[in-house]
Amino acid sequence: MLRAEGQNWISNLRKKWISFYLISTLAIALAIALVLSAIAVYLLHFSPWLFALVFPIVLAILLFSKPIWKTTDHDVSRFVNNQYPELEESADLLLKNELELSILQQLQRNKIENILTSLPQPKEPAKKLYLGLVILLVGLLISIGISQISLHKNEPLNFHEKASQIPAVKENIPAEISDFSATIIPPAYTQKSERKQKQFTITAETGAKVNWKIETNIGIKKLKIIFNDNEVVSLKALSASHTQWDYSKTVNKSGFYQLDLDGKKSDLYQIEIIPDLPITIKITQPKQHTTIDIGQPQKINLNVSLTDDYGINDAFISATMASGKGEGVSFTEKKLSFNTNFNNKKSIALTKLIDLKSLGMKPGDELYFFIKAMDNHGQSSRSDVYFVSIVDTAELMSLAGMTNGVNLVPEYFRSERQIIIDTEKLLKEQSSIPAQAFKNRSNDLGIDQKLLRLRYGQFLGEENETEIGGDHDDHDEHAEHKSGIEKFGDVTTIMDKYAHKHDIAEDATFFEPEMKAQLKAVLTEMWNAELRLRTYKPQEALPYEYKALRLLKDLQQKSRAYVAKTTVKTAALKPEKRLSGELDKITQPVQKMSFEQKEKRTASLKAALALLESRKTGKKFSEQDQYLLSETEKYMIGSAADHPSTYLSALSSLRKLSTTNKLIINDIDLVQQAIQNMINTEQAKPQIQSTSPATTLYQNYFNNLNKAGK
Amino acid sequence: MEFKYIAILVGFVLLAFLLYKEIRRANKARLIWRIFANIIAVCCFIFLIVPIKFETHVPQNTDEIILLTEGTNLDSIASLKGKKYTLSSLELKNTKTIHIPDLSYFLKSNPNIRKLNVYGYGLNTTELEQLKGYQVTFHPSANPRGIIAVNWPAKSKTTELLQVQGTYQNSGNESVKLLLKGLGKTVDSIVIEAKLSKAFSFKTTPKQTGKAVYELISLQKTDTLAKEPVPVQVGDQAPMKVLILASFPDFEYKFLKNWLYENQYPLAFRSQISKNKYAFDFLNTDSINLNQINTSSLKKFDILIIDEEEFAAISPSERSSIDLAVNNGMGLLIRVANVKASTTLSGKFTRFEAPVLKGKPLSLKEDYFKFSPLPVEQALFLKSNQSDQPLIVDVSGKIVVNSSINGYGKVLVSTLSSTYNWLLSGQKIDYATYWAKLLANAARKRNDIQAVNIIPQFPVISQKMRIIADLAESNQIPILKIDSILLSPRQNMELPFQWDAFYWPQKSGWANLALNQTIGPVYIYKKTDWETLKNQQKLNGTHQFIKNLNTNEAKNKLTDTVIEEEISIWWFFTGFLIAATFLWFEARILAV
Repeated sequence: MLRAEGQNWISNLRKKWISFYLISTLAIALAIALVLSAIAVYLLHFSPWLFALVFPIVLAILLFSKPIWKTTDHDVSRFVNNQYPELEESADLLLKNELELSILQQLQRNKIENILTSLPQPKEPAKKLYLGLVILLVGLLISIGISQISLHKNEPLNFHEKASQIPAVKENIPAEISDFSATIIPPAYTQKSERKQKQFTITAETGAKVNWKIETNIGIKKLKIIFNDNEVVSLKALSASHTQWDYSKTVNKSGFYQLDLDGKKSDLYQIEIIPDLPITIKITQPKQHTTIDIGQPQKINLNVSLTDDYGINDAFISATMASGKGEGVSFTEKKLSFNTNFNNKKSIALTKLIDLKSLGMKPGDELYFFIKAMDNHGQSSRSDVYFVSIVDTAELMSLAGMTNGVNLVPEYFRSERQIIIDTEKLLKEQSSIPAQAFKNRSNDLGIDQKLLRLRYGQFLGEENETEIGGDHDDHDEHAEHKSGIEKFGDVTTIMDKYAHKHDIAEDATFFEPEMKAQLKAVLTEMWNAELRLRTYKPQEALPYEYKALRLLKDLQQKSRAYVAKTTVKTAALKPEKRLSGELDKITQPVQKMSFEQKEKRTASLKAALALLESRKTGKKFSEQDQYLLSETEKYMIGSAADHPSTYLSALSSLRKLSTTNKLIINDIDLVQQAIQNMINTEQAKPQIQSTSPATTLYQNYFNNLNKAGK
Repeated sequence: MEFKYIAILVGFVLLAFLLYKEIRRANKARLIWRIFANIIAVCCFIFLIVPIKFETHVPQNTDEIILLTEGTNLDSIASLKGKKYTLSSLELKNTKTIHIPDLSYFLKSNPNIRKLNVYGYGLNTTELEQLKGYQVTFHPSANPRGIIAVNWPAKSKTTELLQVQGTYQNSGNESVKLLLKGLGKTVDSIVIEAKLSKAFSFKTTPKQTGKAVYELISLQKTDTLAKEPVPVQVGDQAPMKVLILASFPDFEYKFLKNWLYENQYPLAFRSQISKNKYAFDFLNTDSINLNQINTSSLKKFDILIIDEEEFAAISPSERSSIDLAVNNGMGLLIRVANVKASTTLSGKFTRFEAPVLKGKPLSLKEDYFKFSPLPVEQALFLKSNQSDQPLIVDVSGKIVVNSSINGYGKVLVSTLSSTYNWLLSGQKIDYATYWAKLLANAARKRNDIQAVNIIPQFPVISQKMRIIADLAESNQIPILKIDSILLSPRQNMELPFQWDAFYWPQKSGWANLALNQTIGPVYIYKKTDWETLKNQQKLNGTHQFIKNLNTNEAKNKLTDTVIEEEISIWWFFTGFLIAATFLWFEARILAV
């Protein structure tokens, strides 16, 4: 018995251990599954049945990761040995067959059996259990939190939408329907929770699933839903008494529907779709055309802001580099990512520094790029193409432009180039020459630059050197005139004395204003270069010099037109056939066509308008009128399927009109308005004006007047 | 010598004889009485033969009546003394008035009435006619509040603009909103401030084909003051036939050709490709020979569009036949591109060149429409002569398209050469409006077979209306029917082609008026429609009548106040009888 007691103690412990552990695992699995399915259901809008799938999977994973049921009594005894030093590492003796034990072992065994009964139960299994329960509690709290968050997030939005999108339409609901609800489950990309409404008029996002639950107060044989007047769907009865009906449909297009209860048709209800808009991309930096001059860092900073109505999934820069010139242009395409996580954010501001050098761009190359973005529904949108070009200094230095065509002012252009060459040379020699000499040469270059600037200033008609940088301070020449000897009788000198005569500098030349503006820009650059050269900073002057040269080059190109020589081979003329002036073999082309108006829509709509107008006076519809009305109805169904909010009420009014004999002016007005909208704006057509009947009297009168006039 | 003097003389002779006999009579008793009786008897006898007449001043209150007409302010007449008369058309409550069923009958039966005090809005023209010769004083009511003048075309063609114009007289203290509503939709509206008379002009394009009744509604806040019907009829008609002669094909012609083709206008297009060689397009029409333009081929077209180069290049005989065709009613549109005119017909219009405003698009306008700007540099403009009518001008008033009458027809000259830019930039409405204006203005006017006029402007239920029909032929009696009631027309004495008939409509709304074979609708108004307008017309008419009357009022006053009266002969007969009886009684009984 004693032996059994010890063994029992251990096996009890094992059972307890296993069962506690299992419960704890179950709790943990439950917690994990809860949290997962809360995320899936509330945030990703899956069915709640998902839980039934998730829970066994999690449980299975947990169980197989630690197969607790394989725990043996030996494992337990080992644990007990570890846990209780009182047992003196002899717990496994209890498990062994008593007969096989040595006397010492038996003694030891008896000893610990006594101890064992007085030992407290180990706390480990209970701890495990508590841990599991705590995890379950935390999981519960988290899942409740998630459901609260998603509700919270959607609440203000929903509230707003309900106010704006679902107008409280007064609906006529068939008397047979005792209760109904329409549940709209927006597609996942909208991240909206499902909403339930007691209204047949539906406003849903593209791809939303709409579930109708209809309860009737009496058993109905057949309940159908007719979509857009052509798609008929029979509903399945949920109950045997045929009073509960259910139908689900994914809507992608606006339209309308009506219920058909055993042949009795309800009003028309509209389905309006909120479309998913593509992402709007706004590039705030750089400008659409950017030129990088020499000396500027060959980098561009890109600032983009993206906005979408539901969420942005991805965005990247698609860049194309063009290098080479003429026929040797080569293109390389590259996809640059923004290296950020978009997380389905609704709007995001992105920045990226594009290093042109690392892209492999050389001076003279151009970069075209645009930004492509995808929203979480898979719609993509792209921005305009932006251009970045690096100025090629080598190209500027080349004399290619000089060798052909007219050279208007060659020395000036060469001079600027010369200054650049000299500056670069000076910089190269900077280390080898004394500081004073460097400064002197730099100053000399500055003087050269000034002279060049002054010469260009003459093009603009500037009078003196202070023109561009400073202001007019005085007019020396006028003072001279005063002191000069007057020539007696010289009218011009006398007049000069009294007249303040000098040209308006701006208008003195014959350049176009555009060219003048560019010339001015050149002068500014030269001035800047001169400033740096005079202050012994040739390195800083270099970019300005290059820019001045580039602008000059542009100017030069503007004033020339060049047509390359080509070889042309023409057929040999036959002089005997030329200029004979015989046209008898030429036939005159005659074209004959008749335009057929295929569409009768406008004509019948117009006739319907007049028909409704006559109905207003109380005239009943004839059979022919009914045909015209049905024709109109057909057109209106088409319009209503596209724009249910505008035409649906008119359509139901039209149906009412054609069936009842009662005269309802409001309905007629509504239909007439809708028809006018359908006709759209008409273009004016020239019409012949009519006059009173031509009688001989008028004719005679006219003829006599004509005679008298002559 | 007049009979009465003879009678008096004879009477006196008789009296003298009788008196002599009395005095000579033996029985002298009661002599004085007998003489007295004799004198009385003879005098009475004379007066029996010659009745006594005397002139007397008629007392004022007997021949002056108070006539109340529509619009009378009941408070103002309450203090008036005397009998009040009303016309049967007016119903007044709480006032003691005498109804006059017919004014002319009443005046004839009461010849002593010389003066009428008219209260209210006055009388209509036919009633005023009967008051000639009477003294009339008019106490007008305040001006009525509402539409006092209105006009719109009763018939229009598809896509034509319907323009409803008129004047609203707001005599009230609050502003009034006037709306034009039609086909279930408010088309246009205007606000008329208090104490103001304002002209309004509503424009819309009726979209129906057939009849429709628009409504002019005046609202004061939410109260509807009046709802007046505006019946409108829109009809389709055969499109005009167009001939285009081009010296060279260009975009302007190409787009115009396509546009006309798509709008189903019959169009013949000839474009020169070489000397005497042409390319022809016959669109929506049968092909005819157009190698040579002559009068008979031009008769088939309503309008000819030609550029000046082509007009100068065709032979003189062709030109003269075009001239003749225009004289007979065909429209001619000449496109010019040069300052100098090369033909006499196009030379009628003087041109000038204005400096081109660089970078400024050309903005054009016509009467009712402002076109969106054209990106062309227009330098050539037209000058207007006295007999010209400019059609299209630019914003600064320089004429781009001008027109002038030539015989029966019209000649248009246009300096604009690239209207197709509107089509290219998607401004279809502008293009259509431009060409509709030009073509409609130029094209040959179509003579109606017959025309119907109705008097008054608003024929009212159970009131006389006059239907005047103008026919092309005068030697045939037209068959005139209203809603299958046959009317008997009478011929105008001076204009043999004009016939008229009278009709008293039975019910309001649309009625069918059939003239020979054609049936046209006529709208019959209710009595209450356009009431203010009619009242204002009455007011104006009565005022005018009084003004004309005042010139001979003084003469009327004298003759009116003095009247001749006759003493009844029965008095004299009685006197004669008594006197004669006394004489006889005395001689027979007393003297015995």
